[in-house]
Amino acid sequence: MAHWRPVYAVLEREVVRMVRQRTRLVSAMVRPLIWLFVIGAGFGAVLQQTGGVSYQQFLVPGVLGMTMLFGAMLAALTMVYDKESGVMRMLIMAPFPHYWIVVAKMLAAALAALLQALLLLILLGVLGYLDWHMRFGLLAMALLATSAACAGIGMLVAAFTRTLDNFAAIMNFVIFPVFFLSGSLYPVSHLPAALKAVALVNPYTYGVDLLKHAVLGVLPSGMGADFATSTDIAVLAGFTAAALLISSWRFSRESAYEPMIRILTGKRDG
Amino acid sequence: MNPAPVIALAVNASGLVKRYGDVLAVDGLDLDIPAGQFFGLLGPNGSGKTSTIHMLATLIRPSSGSATVFGNDVVRDAVATRASIGLVFQESALDRTLSIAENLRFAGLLYNLPAKVIEERSTELLELFGLADKRNRPVGSLSGGMRRALDIVRGVIHHPKILFLDEPTIGLDLPNRRKIWRFIENLRAQTGMTVLLTTHYLEEADSCDRVAFIKNGKLVKSGTPAEMIASLGRHIVEIESPDVETLAQRLAALLGPCLRDGNVAHFRYAENDVGRLASLQSEPGIQISALRWRQPNLNDVFLWVAEGKV
Repeated sequence: MAHWRPVYAVLEREVVRMVRQRTRLVSAMVRPLIWLFVIGAGFGAVLQQTGGVSYQQFLVPGVLGMTMLFGAMLAALTMVYDKESGVMRMLIMAPFPHYWIVVAKMLAAALAALLQALLLLILLGVLGYLDWHMRFGLLAMALLATSAACAGIGMLVAAFTRTLDNFAAIMNFVIFPVFFLSGSLYPVSHLPAALKAVALVNPYTYGVDLLKHAVLGVLPSGMGADFATSTDIAVLAGFTAAALLISSWRFSRESAYEPMIRILTGKRDG
Repeated sequence: MNPAPVIALAVNASGLVKRYGDVLAVDGLDLDIPAGQFFGLLGPNGSGKTSTIHMLATLIRPSSGSATVFGNDVVRDAVATRASIGLVFQESALDRTLSIAENLRFAGLLYNLPAKVIEERSTELLELFGLADKRNRPVGSLSGGMRRALDIVRGVIHHPKILFLDEPTIGLDLPNRRKIWRFIENLRAQTGMTVLLTTHYLEEADSCDRVAFIKNGKLVKSGTPAEMIASLGRHIVEIESPDVETLAQRLAALLGPCLRDGNVAHFRYAENDVGRLASLQSEPGIQISALRWRQPNLNDVFLWVAEGKV
């Protein structure tokens, strides 16, 4: 049973909104570049070069991942915003099962992440941060799998969040930990045991790792990837599927769904 | 060609119950709405109108009882039910960041309509609703009345068999309310669509084929607006008095129960001969500062039902 026109509608709307909200797009590009220039240059000066890769180069997969993480999170959280606006009203009365809303929104979040990552990739290429020997097939795979997994994280958060009031909390307790404890900024193998344990259960870690495989290639020094590409892909695929199932289940549950209907319909009446 | 099978009932609900915790919002409601009818569901706040509509629209599940909309069970065939209904909420279901045309395209695609069909219907409906020249305006820039009109266009873009209008004119000024009603009348004239309306503005329900009053989740009274009005009696007698309390007590035997509205008591009066009422002024022990009589209307039905005195 496919409902592709509705999915297409949701994707189209996401792209239209992305293009219209220039500031969102610009900040999605500026944020990783600031990290690359400021943090990369700063720490690069402190850290010695290892195995022929500068710290800034090491950061490239991390900032690509960052763009996808933030892009997917913001797109997924529009679902929470939508709960307070008319769009979700249109979605809940449309003739498809309600879990299909989650499928469509998750695809839209992944698409938003992917497009932003591609845009950043072009910028990085223009600025000379890309090594043209990178593995493009693997890069495409890494971008797809990571954007999907990031969309999964976003959908889980969106499905368990009622209003956007706690956006700051989501930033502090989800987005930042996921980003910092991932190997984006430092090799996972160098982390202390406790943080390493967190990084190992963080699905985003494996996305960044896959990006490292694609962008940095094989580095002998421990500055490269930490896991096998097959592990990365398996974890990302497994997590994405689980996130989709859990958020669909959560969204279709009556106990979660009926309060939302009441928010959506501004129900004053009994 | 064989004639299409006739499905006589647009809505068929029996024993519909909706419970929110301890609150019984809808309490065993039975409701039949023939196809093509313009049906008004009326009742005070909290009477269960919206919960009823939401159950029929498959947005919430009945706690017990069952309902079908054009033969589709609202629980078992929820998706098919949703395909056959159009729904206009009390709050608008539009994306303020998109233009009118983009909103209709989004809504139409959700109903799996091809882009070309959406384009054609949008043009046609926007024309009918007086929005044709604004199709590229962002929804955020429209006035309340235009937004509501667009909301209805959005609700019928997929040519539903039944349109649920939950207080479609709430918060609009009189000219805009009239305009919205003209649109709905034109739409009904063109499509023959069944319409289920809830409203607080009872003069809007006057043009309904049938109305039903519900209170505390139960159907209290239903019939044509004329029948409902006639059931109140021939006249409503309004008697103003500095001491309405005494007046109500003293006249109860003669005129029956009354509704109190400040220092005015409203009585139902079944007789034709209102002239007899003049003699009330000489009745000992009561003070009457004014006495009027008039034809009852749906507002009176509403008030009497709400007070539980019918």
